[in-house]
Amino acid sequence: MIQRFLSLEWKQFTRASYFQKGLAIKILLFLGVLYFGGMAIFMGGLLFFILRKTMPEVDPIVTVNNFLIYWALANLAIRFFMQQLPVMNIKPLMTVPIKRNIVIHYLLGKTTLSFFNFISLLIFLPFSIVLLVEGYPVLNVVCWFLSLMFLNMAINFINFLINKNNTVFYSLILVILILGGLEYFNIYKISEPIGFAFNAMYNNPISVVIPLSLLIGLYKINFNFIRKGFYLDGAVSKKIEEVKTTDLTWMNRFGSVAPFLKNDVKMIWRNARPKQVVMMSFFFLFYGLIFYTQPTYIKMPAVLAFASMFVTGGFLLSFGQLVPSWDSEYYKLLMSQNIPYRKYLESKWYLMVVAVSISFILSIPYLYFGWKIFSMIVAGAIFNVGLNSFITLFGGALNRVPIELNVKAKAFSNTNGFNPTQLLIALPKMLLPMLLFYIPYKIFNFEAGIIVLALSGVLGIVFKNYIFSKIEKIYQNGKYKTIAAFGEKK
Amino acid sequence: MITTSNLSKAYNSVTVLNIEKLDIPKGQSFGLVGNNGAGKTTYFSLLLDLIQPTTGYIKNKNILVNESENWKPFTSSFIDESFLIGYLTPEEYFYFIGELRGQSKKDVDNLVSQFEDFFHDEILGKKKYLRDLSKGNQKKAGIVGALIGNPEVIILDEPFANLDPTTQIRLKQIIKDLAKKHGVTILVSSHDLLHVTDVCERIVVLEKGEVVKDLVTSQATLKELEAHFAGESLN
Repeated sequence: MIQRFLSLEWKQFTRASYFQKGLAIKILLFLGVLYFGGMAIFMGGLLFFILRKTMPEVDPIVTVNNFLIYWALANLAIRFFMQQLPVMNIKPLMTVPIKRNIVIHYLLGKTTLSFFNFISLLIFLPFSIVLLVEGYPVLNVVCWFLSLMFLNMAINFINFLINKNNTVFYSLILVILILGGLEYFNIYKISEPIGFAFNAMYNNPISVVIPLSLLIGLYKINFNFIRKGFYLDGAVSKKIEEVKTTDLTWMNRFGSVAPFLKNDVKMIWRNARPKQVVMMSFFFLFYGLIFYTQPTYIKMPAVLAFASMFVTGGFLLSFGQLVPSWDSEYYKLLMSQNIPYRKYLESKWYLMVVAVSISFILSIPYLYFGWKIFSMIVAGAIFNVGLNSFITLFGGALNRVPIELNVKAKAFSNTNGFNPTQLLIALPKMLLPMLLFYIPYKIFNFEAGIIVLALSGVLGIVFKNYIFSKIEKIYQNGKYKTIAAFGEKK
Repeated sequence: MITTSNLSKAYNSVTVLNIEKLDIPKGQSFGLVGNNGAGKTTYFSLLLDLIQPTTGYIKNKNILVNESENWKPFTSSFIDESFLIGYLTPEEYFYFIGELRGQSKKDVDNLVSQFEDFFHDEILGKKKYLRDLSKGNQKKAGIVGALIGNPEVIILDEPFANLDPTTQIRLKQIIKDLAKKHGVTILVSSHDLLHVTDVCERIVVLEKGEVVKDLVTSQATLKELEAHFAGESLN
């Protein structure tokens, strides 16, 4: 029985869409996995030495224990965001003569092989090995390591229980932010009591049974949950959402693009995938924090120009690059309805402009880093609106990968719209702002760089109509190919 | 209204459709029948400029469909679920189509209210997204969506499939009325010979991409079609 399941699994793996892509993508994916895996191992291995160096008075294991609460919370949040219980897969197995319990054990067992479980393993395994090499007591370290792995799996199963509930997710994020804030401002340190507990666990190896029993308990709950819902209208059923209607008539002021804009807003609001993209693009706002705080980057203004473009361009880059794909599920309707292509594209452009504007308002706190940095953000925003938006739309014309709107993207299978052409088109988006800034900066001065970068955006807006008709032509020419590609079964 | 001339479509040199000449006059209810792979959907897709003809052309009200987009304002269609926007409620979908076709909310409400018994109280005001409706109910919404905005040409691919008997009967009445009272040219394809002979004035049989029969519907048509398809299966 097991080998049959395994052969199914193997077929699912090798025939998955991301394996059907070109060799270049496979290599990139492989490198990506290698990179993240390598980073995790590297971090895990170095963590001990870093901690000993920065805080020589505290035992590194104590510090780690203190911060494990954040590891657990972040772990859960990331899983909630990315990982789904593959419960739908049991549908074809329901009528097959296999005992239900075996199917469920298989299903739950399968989730242990998830990418998310390995990340923690890859961090804590090298850390534990370093501890052993450094002469920490073997029994304690091994039991501590096992406890963490049990907890890791327990989080895996908690996630499946709360996965269907969005409020849990947002409360979780809120809790992390509040706890982090309290910790940072020294008001209340949640890490102390939790750290105390973990330290106690480390000192008493026998307590490994606590996380173990927690894991077993959660496994049982999950098992019963699926066992009870092992019917078409139970856990397997697609959740039917309650309709949330909002009055969007105020958007009618956008004139002829209004119908599309209203539709796009609903599309983002009501589908899992675009929602994910919007949340991701929110994180782009913090990109500046990485660059503006590092003295090394301050001396490299070209890199800063690039970062400044990123701050306001998150939505533009992540949503915009998949432009026709967002409508792939009903592209035939759009192509046969009474729709001028121009209006369709314009509405997408407006959406990006609004997003850049909102990001720009949210980036005002960057004034903290001074006018120079902020003027770069302003120039970056103008560049995004006037030029980058068009480059992105142009790139979209070459993108013919259908998207399943209401399915969350999974880690490392998120190759929708990820192909060599996409990479090629991403290059000018990244390099252009750097060049536009850097060349006048080198020849004249900082202000000239800012002005040229901003001016390029203004030029784009001035020639908007001309550029739109060019882009429209490209979309028109690719129409049949796009329809055919979107019609293909995913 | 619709003229087809020397039209063919080939994929990798395999011809899937080859129609030398086919004229559909204004106000005709036109039925297309044929087995799977006969080329019905291919023909409709060509008519809507969703695929490119290998040779020949289709003119819709004297507009070359693969060169100009001006046929779009008076042509509407429902081919499959990819004509529905899954994350909208049926009402929102109707209003969206209405907006594209220059209809006010009230116009759309007026039109849609005429189909209340067609909907059988399963579409409107249900607070459900289209993607969560059953196949049959999705189809009902799609068909009514295709009637919005006074189109002169309506194209429906397999409209009777997945519908319950009551709705099938109501749909037949709707199609007849559209052609007779409103002079709409209506193109329907179906696997159900009884339904097409019921609603269509003219029936064309496609076989492996070619027109093999072109009949004006009469009492004898159903028998003739049945004989044709039965004979075919014996070969």
